[in-house]
Amino acid sequence: MTRSEARRARLRYVLVATLSPLAILALWALVAWRGLASPIILPPPSAIWTSFLDMAANGYSGVPLWTHVAASLARVSVAYVAGAALGVALGLLRGRSALIDAVLLAPSELLRPIPPLGLIPLFILWFGVGETSKVLLIFLSVLLIMMVNAQAGVRAASLDSLRAAQSMGANRWQVFRFVVLPSALPQIMTGLRVAMGTALTILVASELLGGDRGLGFLILDASSFFRTTYVFAGVALIGLIGLATDRGLAWAGRRIVHWEGRR
Amino acid sequence: MTAAARPSKPAVVGEAAPPSPKAGAERAPPVLKFEQVGFSYDGRAIMRDVSFSVGPGEILALLGPSGCGKTTILNMVAGFLRPTEGVAVVDGREIVGPGPDRGVVFQAAALFDWMTVAENIAFSLRCAGAGKARRREVAEEMAALVGLSGFEDAFPYQLSGGMRQRVGLARVLAAGPKVMLMDEPFSALDVQTRETLQEEVLRIRDRTGCTILFVTHSIDEAAFLGDRIFLLNDLQSGAYDVYDVALPAPRPNPENRLHPSFLRLRETIYRRMRH
Ligand SMILES: Nc1ncnc2c1ncn2[C@@H]1O[C@H](COP(=O)(O)OP(=O)(O)O)[C@@H](O)[C@H]1O
Ligand SMILES: [Mg+2]
Repeated sequence: MTRSEARRARLRYVLVATLSPLAILALWALVAWRGLASPIILPPPSAIWTSFLDMAANGYSGVPLWTHVAASLARVSVAYVAGAALGVALGLLRGRSALIDAVLLAPSELLRPIPPLGLIPLFILWFGVGETSKVLLIFLSVLLIMMVNAQAGVRAASLDSLRAAQSMGANRWQVFRFVVLPSALPQIMTGLRVAMGTALTILVASELLGGDRGLGFLILDASSFFRTTYVFAGVALIGLIGLATDRGLAWAGRRIVHWEGRR
Repeated sequence: MTAAARPSKPAVVGEAAPPSPKAGAERAPPVLKFEQVGFSYDGRAIMRDVSFSVGPGEILALLGPSGCGKTTILNMVAGFLRPTEGVAVVDGREIVGPGPDRGVVFQAAALFDWMTVAENIAFSLRCAGAGKARRREVAEEMAALVGLSGFEDAFPYQLSGGMRQRVGLARVLAAGPKVMLMDEPFSALDVQTRETLQEEVLRIRDRTGCTILFVTHSIDEAAFLGDRIFLLNDLQSGAYDVYDVALPAPRPNPENRLHPSFLRLRETIYRRMRH
């Protein structure tokens, strides 16, 4: 592909990716405008925008909107960073050491199929309904996802590249640092995107546990008072956070693992 | 021919041509020696009782049908596999594992895609703890040696197949190996690139004095760049044919592909392989 062809293809991609949500929005507005759905169930986009502006100006339940957003972001980022760091470390160790893999196999495989939301009652029992439960729930989900991905990534190193490194004098640590780790990076970057999606899901769920701030709290509270437009505005904010972080991670991934898919 | 070699038939010795430039090599103590080496994968014997030795600066071409055990031999020299019987010796010491004294050029290059050409080339120096400036210096020197000057900062995926193999050569040379092991390194390349790289191998040998074990499927390739050719027709009993290549020096000469001695050797091996 020539450079100008590639640029045109990229432009077309961005155009379609922008038009598709606009089309959905237009269809939605049409349905609402024709009165095909009750405004309690499906309010028109304009009403949601109005509610959003209201929250931005006056806050929600006595707390500024940005405090809700910040509370959610703080929880998710602390849990995500810590969970990803530990998960990647454990996954890499499991990939390199049969002993560590054996130690962690049963505990992690028993935990993995349990939906994190199923753990909520236990977490409330152990850690109460405060910040600890919320953060730990997200932390645990991210950790499990990243552990699996990092461990699978370790296996991506080709036998030839491992042998090449050894025959050029690399010791065990150097083989790991210069070959195994870079080979695992594409899978780790993919895992980071999956884990971010999951982290945001668990975030909303965990904020249903209680507390008086956070986007999850806002959504739950608004829905129990049938303030559907506020529910939608909250959901849209979380969606936008998800979209932005995913695009950010995808962009970072393309820079960090620039060699992926180019062989 | 060395005393250790056990040809299955009388060797076809070089014809009345100028002596090979490495004719004296076999009298010097061998760089590489196999003594009654056997190898089994999970109890299934691939080869038995294989003995040979290779002199300093010699290029030994290993020719043989697919699955006969060429890669296994190379892997034992590289130290990736241990012989299940007998011993493999490099420079007087038994081979017990991989090391920078034996460099490997892989068929698919096996470059580190996350490193630049210069970083790939200087990898052995980095492992040995050399500083940044020294690594750059050697990388540039080796890049020049294999004709890659100006590509030091490119990434492997930006290079053609032939250039990737040049990087593979350069990174092995940077480690200053005693023995270079090449496993069908050019078989995926187009004819022209392949022939250029064959000449490159001869030039590198002349310049570095490196001993080379070269595995190939191609009679032409073996006859053009080998000093000796082993035709591995029955490794199960340790037997192989030995052919001496008698081509005039300087060896890196494309005209040698038309030399009568080259053409005759090619025909002899061809007929031998055909029955
Ligand atoms: N990892 C392995 N496990 C079991 N058998 C193998 C393995 N690698 C190679 N072999 C067998 O050993 C024989 C020699 O293989 P190889 O040395 O790769 O041959 P060549 O390189 O000459 O094609 C073949 O029959 C092959 O099937
Ligand atoms: Mg092979």
